[in-house]
Amino acid sequence: MLTFLRRRIVSSALPLLVVVLGVFALARLTGNPASLYLPLNATAEMRANFTAKYGFDDPLLVQMAHYFGGVLRLDFGESLRTGESAAAMALRAFPATLQLAGTTMLLAVVLAVIVGSWAALKPNGIADRISSFVSMAAASVPDFWLAIMGIWVFAITLGWVPTSGVGGATSWILPIATLLLRPFGVLVQIVRGAMVTSLSEPYIKLARSKGASEFRVVTRHALRNAAAPALTVAGDLTVSLVNGAVVVESIFGWPGIGKLMIDSILQRDFAVLQAAVLLTAVSIFILNILIDLGYAGLDARVRPAGRRKKSSRAVSAVAAEPKERKIHVQTTP
Amino acid sequence: MMSSAPKISGRARMTIALATGSVLALTGCSVANTGTSSGTDSDTVRIVLPIEPTTLEPCDATLSSTGVVVRSNITEPLIERDPTSGDLEPLLATSWEQTSDTEWTFTLREDVTFQDGTAFNAEAAAFAIDRAVNSDLGCDVEGQMFGDADVALEVVDDTTLKITTEAPDPVLPLRISFIEIGAPTDASAKVREPIGTGPYAIGQWDAGSKLTLNVNENYWGDAPAFKTAEYQWRSEGTVRAAMVTRGEADLALSLSADDGAGDLGLNYPNNETVALRFSGDIAPLDDIRVREAINYAIDRTGITDSLYAGASVPADQLVPPGVVGYNDSLKPWEFDLAKAKDLVAAAKADGVPVDEKITIVARADQFPKIAQMTEVLQEQLGQAGLNIEVKIAETSVGLQYQVRPFVLDEGAIAMIVQHGNQAGDASFSTDSYMTSQAQMSMFGSPEFDALLADAATKTGDDRQVAFADALAYERDNLVQFAYIARMSGVIGKSAAVNYEPNSLSGDELRLAEITPAS
Repeated sequence: MLTFLRRRIVSSALPLLVVVLGVFALARLTGNPASLYLPLNATAEMRANFTAKYGFDDPLLVQMAHYFGGVLRLDFGESLRTGESAAAMALRAFPATLQLAGTTMLLAVVLAVIVGSWAALKPNGIADRISSFVSMAAASVPDFWLAIMGIWVFAITLGWVPTSGVGGATSWILPIATLLLRPFGVLVQIVRGAMVTSLSEPYIKLARSKGASEFRVVTRHALRNAAAPALTVAGDLTVSLVNGAVVVESIFGWPGIGKLMIDSILQRDFAVLQAAVLLTAVSIFILNILIDLGYAGLDARVRPAGRRKKSSRAVSAVAAEPKERKIHVQTTP
Repeated sequence: MMSSAPKISGRARMTIALATGSVLALTGCSVANTGTSSGTDSDTVRIVLPIEPTTLEPCDATLSSTGVVVRSNITEPLIERDPTSGDLEPLLATSWEQTSDTEWTFTLREDVTFQDGTAFNAEAAAFAIDRAVNSDLGCDVEGQMFGDADVALEVVDDTTLKITTEAPDPVLPLRISFIEIGAPTDASAKVREPIGTGPYAIGQWDAGSKLTLNVNENYWGDAPAFKTAEYQWRSEGTVRAAMVTRGEADLALSLSADDGAGDLGLNYPNNETVALRFSGDIAPLDDIRVREAINYAIDRTGITDSLYAGASVPADQLVPPGVVGYNDSLKPWEFDLAKAKDLVAAAKADGVPVDEKITIVARADQFPKIAQMTEVLQEQLGQAGLNIEVKIAETSVGLQYQVRPFVLDEGAIAMIVQHGNQAGDASFSTDSYMTSQAQMSMFGSPEFDALLADAATKTGDDRQVAFADALAYERDNLVQFAYIARMSGVIGKSAAVNYEPNSLSGDELRLAEITPAS
């Protein structure tokens, strides 16, 4: 485990550095933000003072060295807009996005497992057709439209939920519902496909022949094998949610990091943008590790070599390396 | 023996289920770092803004996003301008007089304290003004109202303050009315949450979520009707309007007619004028006939009727009625496409390269339907025979075209600008947009500069006449602009409150003017 973590940390350090460097350089290529922070009729002297104060007239490499020197001291700079610590602003906003993304994905996974399994049990049946329709809709409907329609229908017309904001449990409903559609649509197809494959495996026939209920067959046997690919896709979708919740956060007034990033981009608030990107990149790195660990937990075949336990937790032990496992079939009741 | 799937023990399953349920339940209670919800309260007025203030620093209160919360609510100026009459009225100063060409003496109100209990006096006022105007803080009010000019301050006694300007300034009291007086604080750094003398103090600011002001129990003036003011922000106008219609907010600012506020949307004149500003030293806009042709080619009534349902009206000059210097004899250019074509043809015959492109530059989302207006203008000017391209840029890029140093390597530019004169005097518009060296002026003339400089030295009726004549001169001899529309704003107001919006409402929303509906 420690070796695995060490290797992942080392291999992820370079991409993290590239991301931060890239954001740093690209942001500054957009020019001096002085005009955004000074009055429209600020004099040339005021602009020069502002530029000098924040070092925007230094060569890019000098600015970069200054920034990374601060990073080593855990000083990520200050917001041009508010004067607050950029790191503090990013850390304050991030949990709200994690809450939103985490809750959305949890619900998406649970619902996708239920609907996907149901669809797989009867291919081309009603559930299968519904899930296909939902998937198509999810890929076609823009978040913005869905959010506004949700507000119009459920908040204004029906009065069931608040229009926006973060007060109370009901304020979660529309943002989550808006974000849920796309990952649910993707996952339900993944689960359906994996379940169809699993349900056609010989061990499923065996389980049925032994008298296992359909529920047990699905949940204890087939689903365990179908979980691995779904987990991988769910992980990718969670990453997308963390990055892509900006529309929902803006519309519903959700104080998350997506909105913070877009505001920072539009306001050329470089320090906050860099801090937010770095924080998001680190969290994606951690998330990917967790996905890998979860995947290994589900499927012994992908565990790091030499670490496999004798008793595999994966049903796919039946289909695992035949040279390591022997299949014993009970021929008598 | 058949190898079966490894089992999760019943205890483990229960643990996982409980953990999952707990996460859901806990996260369903509150969003991280957002504080508690105040709910609906008859003593609370709820206001939804388009953006969160980046700061409440008083010397940046000329920024709309800051001023709408701070001005006359948390802090107060020495003098207040009546948005309807334009008159200057006493507030923290009870009187003022010009005691010499460059000196003004202010008499301050007694028995006023800041919200932290410290006394308001001449020394505190001097500190605030010095900090805002003379320091290196880069205050917005300095850039907007004073430029490079500094002021000298002399504390005569606790209630008497003398302010001396570098040059005679007949409108110093008007400039002073934009300086919000905060309690003395660090002169070398801005404060995010100030202490003032106003009827409200900052209660709690949940950054990203909500800002609450509580009534100042020791306020020197009349107590406001609401004990608490709660500000939230939503970037989408439709959501802000929905909050009012749904009863989640009492006031919603910066709406457009299409946001769905319906009968709860109140139109009001917001003093904003939209115009095309010409790069008058770049061909073909360097020929006055082309600039005149553009003016004749624009169907202003068509634009205001079709895009704004008549809520906006055609504009005739840069400053709105009620502003000192407004020339009521000037009328909007008439729409005459034939005349526009003739002017373009005449210029072409004289060798003016009228076929060279003119780019209409607009800042995205600067005001409602700016994109549509840009398309209409392109079509109308194209009918006059001009080669028009359109560029809609986000704010940071747009400002490169709007403010010096301009973008000068892309040919002739006609930039859509929206200018609001909240100060009530034409000099604040001409200094920004019309003199040859103004930060947002692309060309001028020495003669016009002289007219404006002379007008700026005058007072009273002479000042009114001088500026009015100067604006007429610009119209007849320079044509720096094509004035398009006098805009109006929309505020969503719930039936639970009484409030009459005025030209200042978008920049200074006085909470004391909001009362519960009976």
